[in-house]
Amino acid sequence: MFTATLRGMLAHKVRLVLTIASIALGVAFLAGTLILTDTMRLAFDQLFGKVSAGTSAVVRAESAFSQTEGISTSRAPIPASVLDQVRTVDGVRVAEGAVSGYALLTDNAGKAVLTSGGAPTMGYSLAADSALRGDVKLLSGNAPSGPRQVAIDATSAEEHHIALGSTIKVLFQGPAQDFTVVGTVGFGKEKNLGGTTGAYFDSATAQQVLGAPGFFDAINVSSDTGVQPAELVRRMNAVLPDGAEAVTGATVVKESADAVNKDLKVVGIMFMIFAGIALFVGAFIIWNTFTMTITQRSREIALLRAIGATRRQVNRSLIVEALLLGALASAVGIALGLLVAKGLNLLMDAVGFSLPSTSLQVEPRTIVVSLLVGTLVTVVAALVPAYRATKVLPVEALREAVPGAGNPSPKRVIAGAIVTGLGLAGLFMTLYGDLTMKVFGPSLLAIIVGVLMLLPAAARPLASLIGVPLRLRGLPGDLARQNAMRNPRRTSSTAAALMVGLTLVVSMGVFASSLKASFTDLVGDSTNADLFVTPSSKQAPGFSPEVTKVVQAVSGVDKVSASGWGQARFNGTDSSYSAIDPATATAGLNLRLSSGSVSDLGLDGVVVAQKAATTHGWKLGTVIRGEFAETGKHTLRVVGIYDSKGWISDDYVISIAAQTAAAGQQLTASGLVTLVDGADKGTVQRAVTDALAGHPDAKVLDRKGFEKEASGFIDQLLTFVTVMLLLAVVIALLGIVNTLVLSVYERTRELGLLRAVGMTRAQVRAMVRWESVVISLIGALAGAALGIGLGLALSQALADEGIKSISVPGLQVTLYVVLAAVAGVLAAIGPARSAAKVDVLRAVVAD
Amino acid sequence: MSASISTTDSTIAPTTVAARAEGVSKFYGTGDATVAALKDVHVTLQTGEFTAIMGPSGSGKSTLLHMLAGLDRPTSGEIFLGDTRISALNDKALTLLRRDRIGFIFQSFNLLPTMTAAENIVLPIRIAGRKPDAAWVQSIVDKLGLADRLTHRPTELSGGQQQRVAAARALASRPQIVFADEPTGALDSASGTELLGFLRKAVKELGQTVVMVTHDPTAASYADRVLFLADGHVVDEMFEPTADAVLDFMKHLGG
Repeated sequence: MFTATLRGMLAHKVRLVLTIASIALGVAFLAGTLILTDTMRLAFDQLFGKVSAGTSAVVRAESAFSQTEGISTSRAPIPASVLDQVRTVDGVRVAEGAVSGYALLTDNAGKAVLTSGGAPTMGYSLAADSALRGDVKLLSGNAPSGPRQVAIDATSAEEHHIALGSTIKVLFQGPAQDFTVVGTVGFGKEKNLGGTTGAYFDSATAQQVLGAPGFFDAINVSSDTGVQPAELVRRMNAVLPDGAEAVTGATVVKESADAVNKDLKVVGIMFMIFAGIALFVGAFIIWNTFTMTITQRSREIALLRAIGATRRQVNRSLIVEALLLGALASAVGIALGLLVAKGLNLLMDAVGFSLPSTSLQVEPRTIVVSLLVGTLVTVVAALVPAYRATKVLPVEALREAVPGAGNPSPKRVIAGAIVTGLGLAGLFMTLYGDLTMKVFGPSLLAIIVGVLMLLPAAARPLASLIGVPLRLRGLPGDLARQNAMRNPRRTSSTAAALMVGLTLVVSMGVFASSLKASFTDLVGDSTNADLFVTPSSKQAPGFSPEVTKVVQAVSGVDKVSASGWGQARFNGTDSSYSAIDPATATAGLNLRLSSGSVSDLGLDGVVVAQKAATTHGWKLGTVIRGEFAETGKHTLRVVGIYDSKGWISDDYVISIAAQTAAAGQQLTASGLVTLVDGADKGTVQRAVTDALAGHPDAKVLDRKGFEKEASGFIDQLLTFVTVMLLLAVVIALLGIVNTLVLSVYERTRELGLLRAVGMTRAQVRAMVRWESVVISLIGALAGAALGIGLGLALSQALADEGIKSISVPGLQVTLYVVLAAVAGVLAAIGPARSAAKVDVLRAVVAD
Repeated sequence: MSASISTTDSTIAPTTVAARAEGVSKFYGTGDATVAALKDVHVTLQTGEFTAIMGPSGSGKSTLLHMLAGLDRPTSGEIFLGDTRISALNDKALTLLRRDRIGFIFQSFNLLPTMTAAENIVLPIRIAGRKPDAAWVQSIVDKLGLADRLTHRPTELSGGQQQRVAAARALASRPQIVFADEPTGALDSASGTELLGFLRKAVKELGQTVVMVTHDPTAASYADRVLFLADGHVVDEMFEPTADAVLDFMKHLGG
């Protein structure tokens, strides 16, 4: 039986290649994701490890909890006096204070040196001791010394032609300053630290511009030879004052790496979802292929049964075939996964997530998981068709097999209708009734599954309807329509794969479109700003608070209401908060307070969201606990309750003054500018732009420009998601090719007859092509309809989160459908060609 | 009726030529494995005549029919349909020629399963993108007794009915010549008789030219003329054949 299985697989090479491809692509995505995340993890581990290679221990402020965001950790600074104490500890070879913080380089022309990805722009103190510098190396020039010198990362120097000896401006949270560039810095073989730009100062200067005089962020210690870090840490902890702690260098490395790994995990899960979708679509192709080949091979199977093969043997031989196919496809997928990992890396780079580079890591786990998943999906998809094969009776070997073309069973239709109905009911109950939102996701899934079950019943009428214009194309068009209708189950499972892909793509499109529309409305409803001051790069965290003062001074400007944000723990729960200036906030912002007043914020007030207030039973005057990583616990009094669905949407809003007191000075995220009566918007915008010439970290936009920039970001994300989902669509198209190839093979005699009675090759090709278009359009239209529905439901579900406008991107959806039809034409090229080549004689002569 | 057996070319009747083969040979395979299906065959088919081609299995009779019908190309020699040298045509021209000037009836009925009988009958005309001549089609349908079967699909028809649909299709576009390849091979004798009667009627009453390959002497007796093939050669012909005479001759050929 095994030999028969193997021979059968090899006999149909095209089918083999196509089915392998449909699974291999999904596996490739899975393997690629695993490879990429492993590679990134290793890259970051190496990066952190190298940078602090020579640091045996670190002394820092104790913190009840630490906020970790990307690769920077916020913690209270430590007094410089502790350094002297540390130096007295036995076993300490050298100890130096370290300071780091926000610093934005500018080039010779005064333009900001922005990072392309999400990498931060940083300033550091450059250690004097070479061991404490770790992997940080001076590549040219000298170490900075004194308040007017800076060394910068080699990438920034090269890309922006900043020569040694030139004077550049560096922007901080405080006032910007001019520095002479005295050196360039690299990291081992790299010229920058994971895409970060770096400005390096001597310790005292760094304290001045990045932190506060008399304080360090941490003290880095290098031990005498022979002293174990753990022992050194124990000795230091014995003498350190309250509020300071010593930990080993390895601990710090691990903390940083863990923090990044948490982010990487999110990225990994996101890619896994796309891989899962691809595999799901691939499973359809496998199912379809097995169903079709079993129909075509029913004579062969019947013959095996007639000569004594048991049902179990028939079943087993098909499962073995699926097993072999799955394993082979998975192996191919793993190889392709390397390419996918490279591609994803490039894609992430393109949309702004730069990653440190290292060679691709293929862990044994990646291979095992990919093989298992790919093989399992294939075998599971083949189970039902294989079971059906056992129903083939031996006597069928003697009959001329007419491939079955039955309608789906009524049972299936009813079950499909019930599942769809339950899904719809769940959906409406969550959206408009009081059913918990937890049912929302399963409801969406139920609708998709239900529609998949109903599709075979709808395939015939749909094909008939879509095919109506084809009648104008004469007989080939008419035949194409009939061919698409003749086996509804096959047509529907081929179209289903495309439907799933398009449903996702379209629903994302609708969601993004609603998001954009809502954002525009939100800007209109919740701000009365005439101009918007924003960071010059979308990825930058903000701009210096100095900017607000500069803009305020421009003539024609009435008020600039600045806002910032941060992370803290409120009554034990980590949450982001917004910071506003009570004096100017109401000028530009419409916070919609239901009670209380922003002007009462002061240093210990907090305005809370209606939702949070309701949940916790907070009223005006309620005292809540706020914990900040930098300064610990504070008590905050509720002075206002607002609807949290506008420009500011955090659960907690405090004053900028309170933020500065609790978390140190922070960057401003945005400034809403209102003009004095009668001032011309264009004139003032130009004046503000001029005033910001010395502040390249910020720019000013009018409302249109601001909305455009924001929707540009949504578009970018949408593009990213769409590209990811495109893989599923490509797999679906492979499925169409596969179905057509098998159909053409099955209809050899018919094609021969048509050729014999005078159908030209071009007409035969047209016939196959139009059939392909009909199948694609069934998938595309069903997908578009379902996608629009799901997209609207998704938008509606997030109405509370601020998606108040709903918008369907009609042009975009139409484009998708047209593209699907074009893709159908492309998918038909090969099958149409082989259909046209059918040997007339062989087809019409009785065998 | 007396059978006249002659080995000379038929130049007796003043009829026009519907199709002819001149020195046609067909070889399959290459080198040592070469098999000659036809060797230097000369055949002339007269317009308005019902010709049967007979011969034992492997005699090349089906190959000759395929050559004459433009379904296959000779290795050497020329085929003419009327005045058209079809062995010189490219695939497209040959396809259009089959569509417009030739009708086919095959042994296995070869109808499109997705189409009704009526649709199958006008298939070649629709492929050509033309409107069928309704009166003409109706007259054929009536002659074949298919009037109440037109809306049925092939799977709903008996073998004899299917073959009659195929015959109607072959005649619907008024082809210059109808080729039938063992048309009764898959039919019971009653259905076979009915079909042969129709073909004969088509020749006598409608002036249709019909060429039929068969191995059944009774079927051959419906023809005006029988060509006998053996080993790739035309070995003899018989005019106004009877089943017995054909059977006798075939015994002689086979022995």
